[in-house]
Amino acid sequence: MSSNKVEENVSATQALSGRSTSLPMSRVKLIMKSSPDVSHINQDALFLTTKATELFVQHLAQYSFRKGCGKERNALGYSDLAKAAEEAEPFHFLTDILPKKILARDYLRSLEERTEDSD
Amino acid sequence: MASSSGNDDDLTIPRAAINKMIKETLPNVRVANDARELVVNCCTEFIHLISSEANEICNKSEKKTISPEHVINALESLGFASYIAEVKDVLQECKTVALKRRKASSRLENLGIPEEELLRQQQELFAKARQQQAELAQQEWLQMQQAAQQAQLAAASASATQQAGSSQEEDEEDDV
Repeated sequence: MSSNKVEENVSATQALSGRSTSLPMSRVKLIMKSSPDVSHINQDALFLTTKATELFVQHLAQYSFRKGCGKERNALGYSDLAKAAEEAEPFHFLTDILPKKILARDYLRSLEERTEDSD
Repeated sequence: MASSSGNDDDLTIPRAAINKMIKETLPNVRVANDARELVVNCCTEFIHLISSEANEICNKSEKKTISPEHVINALESLGFASYIAEVKDVLQECKTVALKRRKASSRLENLGIPEEELLRQQQELFAKARQQQAELAQQEWLQMQQAAQQAQLAAASASATQQAGSSQEEDEEDDV
């Protein structure tokens, strides 16, 4: 089944069962299926996953804002999210995709220190 | 929204949906663009995380389809147990709403009467209606007949009176 067909089918079923989600269930299904080995997903299970993802977004945004430095400026930035990924255990899985950005000069400095050590 | 048949790995949640959620969660907070982009990618990662874990749990249970139970157990083992209560509630709510809706529509349609009975009642009503129409038609026919008869009688007596009148005139002539 093409991606389009999957999205149509899920959207139609969603409309019939009156389940509304902020994130599109059809897209969530496609992402789930792109995981290796995942074959069949029950409709309720898909709904639960979508809802859980919504809660995750809210949780990540709120946590990062509360604990981050952006709070003083009433802003949420990349570093706030990266910090949250490091500090909160459930968010550790994100560290792969959010390396803490470091300034170029800091990187160069750390390189220098390393070469000094090996001398 | 144009969807290309590109790599499945490029699938992400639509940016607009994420922006909307962030806005609702943190109203009046300025969120940098790279941060938004990051949240979109984190979503995808989360979905992969949950599906892989749920899939593993599913395989161990020797079932072929990932069930809600599998997802719930996955959330628990990955440290997202705090989400479980709320997602369960929403699922239950939806089921209740769907059930009520189905009950309501079937109530309206059947009024608790089985289909054969409904058909029988319908046939009865049709028969009654046909009979009434036939009676009405007959009445009209009778009335027409009566009216025609009366018209004939009236015509007959009129011509009779005329004849009588003309014979009287002849008599008068004789007397002169």
